[in-house]
Amino acid sequence: MSADNILQVRNLSVRFGALKAVDDVSFDARQGAITAVIGPNGAGKSTLFNLVSGAFRPHSGRVTLAGRDITGQPPQTLLAAGLARSFQITNLFFELPVRENLRLAAQFVEAGPWWRGLRPVQASRAALQRVDELIEQFDLAADADEVAGALSHGQQRRLEIAMALASRPRLLLLDEPTQGMSHADTQDTAGLIRGLVQRGLSILIVEHDVDLVMKLSDHVVVMHQGAKLAEGPPAAVRADPAVQAAYFGKEAQHA
Amino acid sequence: MLETTLHPQGRALPAAPNRGRRADALRWIAGAFFLAALAFGIVAWAVGDVFFLRLATEALIYGGLALSVDLLLGRTGLLPLGQALFFGLGAYVSALVLKHWAASFWLALAVAMAASALAGLMGGLIAIRSKGVYFALISFGLAQVVSKVVYNTRELGASDGLIGVPAAQLGAGLSTALPLGFFLVVLALIFATWALLSWLMDTPFGRQLAAVRGNEQRLAFIGVDPWRVKLAVFVLAATIAGASGALYPMLRGFVSPELMFFQVSGNAVINVIVGGTGTLIGPLLGSSLLTGLRSVVGSWTEHHHIAIGLLFVIVVILAPRGLVGGLAPRLQAWLDRRRDQELS
Repeated sequence: MSADNILQVRNLSVRFGALKAVDDVSFDARQGAITAVIGPNGAGKSTLFNLVSGAFRPHSGRVTLAGRDITGQPPQTLLAAGLARSFQITNLFFELPVRENLRLAAQFVEAGPWWRGLRPVQASRAALQRVDELIEQFDLAADADEVAGALSHGQQRRLEIAMALASRPRLLLLDEPTQGMSHADTQDTAGLIRGLVQRGLSILIVEHDVDLVMKLSDHVVVMHQGAKLAEGPPAAVRADPAVQAAYFGKEAQHA
Repeated sequence: MLETTLHPQGRALPAAPNRGRRADALRWIAGAFFLAALAFGIVAWAVGDVFFLRLATEALIYGGLALSVDLLLGRTGLLPLGQALFFGLGAYVSALVLKHWAASFWLALAVAMAASALAGLMGGLIAIRSKGVYFALISFGLAQVVSKVVYNTRELGASDGLIGVPAAQLGAGLSTALPLGFFLVVLALIFATWALLSWLMDTPFGRQLAAVRGNEQRLAFIGVDPWRVKLAVFVLAATIAGASGALYPMLRGFVSPELMFFQVSGNAVINVIVGGTGTLIGPLLGSSLLTGLRSVVGSWTEHHHIAIGLLFVIVVILAPRGLVGGLAPRLQAWLDRRRDQELS
């Protein structure tokens, strides 16, 4: 079981005061597949995401990345272990150019002792090469010298994903990557995510757009009121009466 | 008001390609500044002046303090309201070494730098936990505490400070008592510090400072511990401030608790903002102009703070990026035009 699971989450819980925001949640994310976490607003998806990505520390439970216990580790340690994330609310270095945003993120691929961070940036060849790859892959060449704050919302969302990928992670956590995107941009992003998985990346995604999730994912975890309600292949989850009652029943008319 | 006036998030230099282009203009200004300083020293020596040579040396020493403030304020977005703590510490350590140990320039400088680096590490562990106004106030508070302790310590001369500090020897017969010789030594040290920082700003570490200023929370998610970056820059700034302070007793022959007072910290911040936050050369220019102005206006009237205060208000309104911050883009445009003409 564990051989092809890149991520194992076991009995993860966190409380904010009296509120059990995440309550005893367990699931696995498979190597080379797309695992989605869905649920109505306030179900605890984002909190779960923040626990797995090191933004918050869980009160109990365990998170294992490729067999290594990473529970409660800070984000920079998780990145070194191969886990990167993007943000739901675009979280860039807005006053820096696109290229510099990517260069800051790509500096991670530069190996060597700490004092290599004290050589001019041009000496970090591997990082600069990674920046060029990402600019090409994410079609950002025309705006590479613009400050990130001047990009359109769709471009900022793309840059957000590109920055998360800069470190060449093994597992990528995407927090509502298509949030606020047009239909066409959403389709582009879905294609992009599929392409990443075909190259061997594993993805854990939190997404509001249920149709997108059903089309995109290999495995779906449904959250409701902080707890896991169901999990399984998209079709099975969709057919689950408990899920329909908790989620699709209310969301169907919106979707 | 404090945030918008003293915390120039948006108005520091735009980075990367723009900065690369503008770096030319900043280097021109820096070159002009250092050449003018050199010429000033030689002319002052040739006409037999001592007063202005000593004053210019003091201005450069305060320029070192301003560089350390710019590193924190202009580059990292941290407003240090107590940077005089490290300046004064360097001055006291230097004075003690010169008086009681050996009248060696290098020894005094090295011990003062080590002491201020250590103090920077301790102060940094306390101060960088907080941000914005809280960082500014903790930095201010630390300086208040240490200056009051020094003020009340009889072994350190209490309110009188330490007097009768001997001139320091640099070797080869050069002494800090020689007005031109010491001026040139200080100029060389300040130039070296400026060159080091300019170079550092184009390294991954230097660029991470701008990332801290822009979006500190994101840094951890690109694999960088923001806490380490801030601690490193805080220690570096403390060391530069301490090294600058170490030169003070060599120039004036005494140190006093006033060197750690808010007046000195506040003046350093004003020098940085008037000169141009985040430009490195601007704070040196600001320190030179304002130290000169304080002395000259101060010789006419006791109320020179009014003149400096008015000047500060006028510069902040008319040139919110400071003198160099306002000049550099214009100079750059001129340099670009000239280059285009040469190419065509």
